[in-house]
Amino acid sequence: MSRLNDHFRGAARVLGFVALVLGVGAVFALIEPRFLSHASLNGIARHMAANGLAALGLTFVVIVRKFDLSIAGIAAFAAMSMGALIAAGLPLWAAIMGGLALGAVLGAVSGIAISYFELPDIVTTIAVGSICGGLAFLYTGGRSIFQNFFQSGITDLNDARLLGLGVSLWILLAVYAAAWFVMSRTRTGMAFYATGENPIAAHFSGIATRRFVALAYVLCALCTVLAVLLILAESGNAETNKGANLMMPAYAGVFLGAAVMGGTSVVATFGGILLITMLLDGFALMGVPYYYSDGVVSLILLGGVIAFSDSLREWITGLGLLRPRAARKSENRA
Amino acid sequence: MATPVLTASDVSKRFGPVQALRGVDFHVGPGEVHALLGINGAGKSTFIKILSGIIQKDGGTLTVAGREVHFRTPEDAIRAGIATVQQHPELVADMSGLDNIFLGRETAGRGLFARIDRAGLEARAEALLARFAVPLDLRQEVGQMSAVEREAVAILQALAVDGIRVLILDEPTSTLTEVEREDLFALMNQLKTRGISIIYITHQLEEVFAIADSFSVFRAGTCVARMSVAEARESRVSLAELMLGEAVGDVFPPKAGAPAGEALLELEGLGRPHEFTDITLQARRGEILGIFGLVGSGCDELSKTIFGALPAARGTIRVHGREVALRSPRAALDAGIFLVPGDRRSEGLALSRPALFNVPLANLRRASGGFWALRRGRLRRDAQELTRQVALHPPSLTTPASGFSGGNQQKIVLAKGLYSQADIYIFVEPTVGVDIGARAKIYAQMRALARTAAVVVISSDCDEVHGVADRTVALHKGRLVAPAARGFSRDDLLMAGIMGEVAA
Ligand SMILES: Nc1ncnc2c1ncn2[C@@H]1O[C@H](COP(=O)(O)OP(=O)(O)OP(=O)(O)O)[C@@H](O)[C@H]1O
Ligand SMILES: [Mg+2]
Repeated sequence: MSRLNDHFRGAARVLGFVALVLGVGAVFALIEPRFLSHASLNGIARHMAANGLAALGLTFVVIVRKFDLSIAGIAAFAAMSMGALIAAGLPLWAAIMGGLALGAVLGAVSGIAISYFELPDIVTTIAVGSICGGLAFLYTGGRSIFQNFFQSGITDLNDARLLGLGVSLWILLAVYAAAWFVMSRTRTGMAFYATGENPIAAHFSGIATRRFVALAYVLCALCTVLAVLLILAESGNAETNKGANLMMPAYAGVFLGAAVMGGTSVVATFGGILLITMLLDGFALMGVPYYYSDGVVSLILLGGVIAFSDSLREWITGLGLLRPRAARKSENRA
Repeated sequence: MATPVLTASDVSKRFGPVQALRGVDFHVGPGEVHALLGINGAGKSTFIKILSGIIQKDGGTLTVAGREVHFRTPEDAIRAGIATVQQHPELVADMSGLDNIFLGRETAGRGLFARIDRAGLEARAEALLARFAVPLDLRQEVGQMSAVEREAVAILQALAVDGIRVLILDEPTSTLTEVEREDLFALMNQLKTRGISIIYITHQLEEVFAIADSFSVFRAGTCVARMSVAEARESRVSLAELMLGEAVGDVFPPKAGAPAGEALLELEGLGRPHEFTDITLQARRGEILGIFGLVGSGCDELSKTIFGALPAARGTIRVHGREVALRSPRAALDAGIFLVPGDRRSEGLALSRPALFNVPLANLRRASGGFWALRRGRLRRDAQELTRQVALHPPSLTTPASGFSGGNQQKIVLAKGLYSQADIYIFVEPTVGVDIGARAKIYAQMRALARTAAVVVISSDCDEVHGVADRTVALHKGRLVAPAARGFSRDDLLMAGIMGEVAA
């Protein structure tokens, strides 16, 4: 019985999320009919792919109850590094591998510093992020890199389609599917969650908690590299500010998703980032200047977290005296 | 009798599907020490949380000194003179003991910038501490303190309330040991002579006769009995029977019939500086080895060393006759050792997660198959079976561990141990906060385990060690005190643990 109840509650949250997405979509469509145009929906899908990958990476870190503020810096450094590799004439796959390898190393640096050497996460990742932000200027002193981009085929990641959907969206779906499987269907996922919930109890259960914390940072950096790769593919060049707009939506997506779904998870982040991307693109379409968008996203994040917080819900139900009456009724029946 | 200081009538409280309290009637008179009894999950802590303003009742009335009160926050209760030590006190881990005691009450003046009179605070704290003879450094951070010390800080924090009329203690002795318990009782008697009423929750039924004037028994969320201790003594009622609602047999199962088998765990000259030295012990298949030691005797460190959580400075550990280097709990688990840790909330459980998550945690290999994928059907069946075996109540696999009463949280840790299928089980303080009915079940579980495994019970409860173990030793200030002949009598064991001497 309680099992059915749980399924029901989980389904109710998912339905709530779907309703929210549809509702937001409907409002935008009413205000700005172009929202539902082919070009606009395509744009949402592309932005969703980049934002979604960054948010997924952050999800691992948030699950082990840490923060990563190096996303923007790592994205910039990886963007310029991959750009330089492409410009040097390396094949696309080699450039991507180079970017991922760089990401793995950077993530490992933060991860090992934080887990094994017990440095504070926020300070460490700010430092690593800033260093990376500086290193991004290494190759060209800040000038844009675009040589060989067209020939390399990187723009296909943005333009090519498979079964009617953009390649970038397929990448997103594949990575999310794999992450969902690992995090909610395998013992590795349980170890991640246990590490975040109570590291001492996890350690006493034989879980290598430090390894999982370090791994979370590596995964976060890898996802960030993939995210910025899609941004390069869309713009056709590499610039040092390419990752600047990844971090805020990622945090908003992770925490909004967690607020609505009642916990951090791959599925929650997927929903959260979908909503955030719709909002960002919708506002852009309506002509809200980009420099307001971070503010708008933060506002929505705050609103979402408040709206779905337990204490507020209790307060509201307390106001209406809904629960006590219902409780009394069921008691009489018992 | 004088008018009660505190009364509750028809108080009810529901948590989702669980009706934790239904129509509780309760009162306590001035200067009365009143014990609140009931099995795990009977609703004692829930009731206390209502009296102290931490949660709000759904229905019913509360009065203090004859006037109806509505507690919306803990501040309201404190202002009405009700000071509480919760079952699991919430202290600020990275503040000192002193700062915790006066948290929010640092100054007489109001306003953000009122000055803090540190010297005055320290003097007040020292005065409180003098009455309560726990050796305690109040300048230490609470996060660094042991469970006993934290409990003491929480008690001092409650006593620092001005104009205190009622002091509520929710299972204070479950973490305290014999010596501190005596201090606490002396302190309670002192408060009583000043007219302060005390509501006292415990699972140690003999304490009721030692300290209380009267008691109430909660069962399934209602108060089913209230009587004076004198009455109870006269009519020879069984408290355990009142709590459980049925007759109880022996708490302790019969001792092992057959002689013990081969040694599964052998310690030789094990030591860690300043904690314990030269521990040589064997735990055999088929027997329960009991180690009695007070808090600070090195018991906790010893258990963690055997479990690989602390490195041994010297000595060797052999498992199944082979020397092993236990560098981590993982290595110990792989060698077949499972530790049921003493501090279940911080070391044993992911509190915001349900039993289904916690039970398999120490043996994720068993829970998964190819591609490390969880075998969810099997896991659910196994977890269901184990929670049934330990009599988890309510028998829910999906309620977060924090939603269970203290004793039932311990049962989840136990189920986790059973799932890990070790063959050397180390139990540290296994029945802290566990009611008498469930305690009997846990001891029976240990006995069942001991048929195929070696069981080591480490506890500061002498009766427990003596009652459940086949063979007992004591640990005193880090040194092993072993009996000359077959075993210790209960009193000899107590002597050995407290004084470090073997009776002639
Ligand atoms: N926060 C909560 N959410 C859901 N259920 C709860 C919560 N707190 C308590 N309960 C339920 O209410 C009932 C009473 O719990 P309570 O903690 O009052 O028991 P208790 O008598 O103090 O037991 P113990 O001796 O083990 O401490 C239990 O069934 C428990 O599962
Ligand atoms: Mg309790």
